[in-house]
Amino acid sequence: MHGFGRVPIEVNDPLFHEPWEGRVWAMWSAIGATTIDRFRFTIEQMPPAEYLASGYYERWLWAIERLAAEQGLLTGPDRPSAGTWPSPVAAAWEGRFRPGDSVRVRNAVTAGHTRVPRYLRRHIGLVERLACVWPNPGDSADSGTYGQPELVYTVAFEGGDLFGPGADHTLSADLPESDLEKV
Amino acid sequence: MTDLTPAQRAERLEHQLHGHGHVDPEEMDATIAEAESASGNYPSPALGARVVARAWVSPEFRQRLLTDAVDTLSEYAPQGVPIAVLENTPGTHHVIVCTLCSCYPSGLLGNPPTWYKSFEYRSRVVREPRVVLAEFGLELSPGVALRVHDSTAEQRYLVLPLRPAGTEEWDEDRLATLVTRNSMIGTGLPIAPGSDS
Repeated sequence: MHGFGRVPIEVNDPLFHEPWEGRVWAMWSAIGATTIDRFRFTIEQMPPAEYLASGYYERWLWAIERLAAEQGLLTGPDRPSAGTWPSPVAAAWEGRFRPGDSVRVRNAVTAGHTRVPRYLRRHIGLVERLACVWPNPGDSADSGTYGQPELVYTVAFEGGDLFGPGADHTLSADLPESDLEKV
Repeated sequence: MTDLTPAQRAERLEHQLHGHGHVDPEEMDATIAEAESASGNYPSPALGARVVARAWVSPEFRQRLLTDAVDTLSEYAPQGVPIAVLENTPGTHHVIVCTLCSCYPSGLLGNPPTWYKSFEYRSRVVREPRVVLAEFGLELSPGVALRVHDSTAEQRYLVLPLRPAGTEEWDEDRLATLVTRNSMIGTGLPIAPGSDS
């Protein structure tokens, strides 16, 4: 989204500006009854005007209230499990892409959750390297559990292609194999 | 709809969750205290500064950090997600962002600063990074290639800044005092020796 002004840089900003922000942050850390992806997806359900008018931890609070109800945490002691947290060092396997390959980002339109930013969809970039292996965020948001991991690639894009001739930087993002196609 | 303030809603939610055994307020106190600790033993900018200073003095450590950051950083704090280290050079400057939420190398640096989570930073640094960096007081020479990394997957990034000139005789502990949080995000440089900042 465009139109935001100067970055609100604070000097010596506190970790939490109000005690309740710390409580909200710690609550989410403590309950962990679903995937991080479903948490993010829930935040995305916030009505847009409310989303933009709310602070960071207000959005967290909004989501945790809904997830706590959805997961039954407000009515009893049972807590669903999101399954095993994926390993950050899981071994990779032979993938569809190699460094130097040109790839186009799939136009990942979905009513569900995706981590493919809109500004990259349908653009062509160069595969730099394998970033990691991780369960697909859309699946993890949908099911509430971590499933089979997928290859994730670091793909580099020319700033000028994404944002016009004034942009002379390179932008890279980490994208799941299933959201990329060879060109 | 509710007329409760966020503080009241948070209190109500914590009370409900505690009533069913899903949170322990005392454990939450400890989690918050750890996050707010500036000791350098928990994930924090101080811990990141120790890592950067060590990479400046030890080529062997620097190499391990660049090739296997998860294992190497786990010596300092457990890393629950993949992480990669981006090395600045005289010709290339790296800066990190999460346009989608607030992904950050929290396993090493702790929670991100508030501006990192702002709509202003998230939406603008990918599009006009030189303008945004100037707002932080960082004017890069046009000859320096700028690389912006959007943390769109679970892999996180740490920027390894350039060691300031004039610190050749400095030891690791002294070097760590020059490493700022922003220099590990890419929105700043390490403090120049002898400057007041």
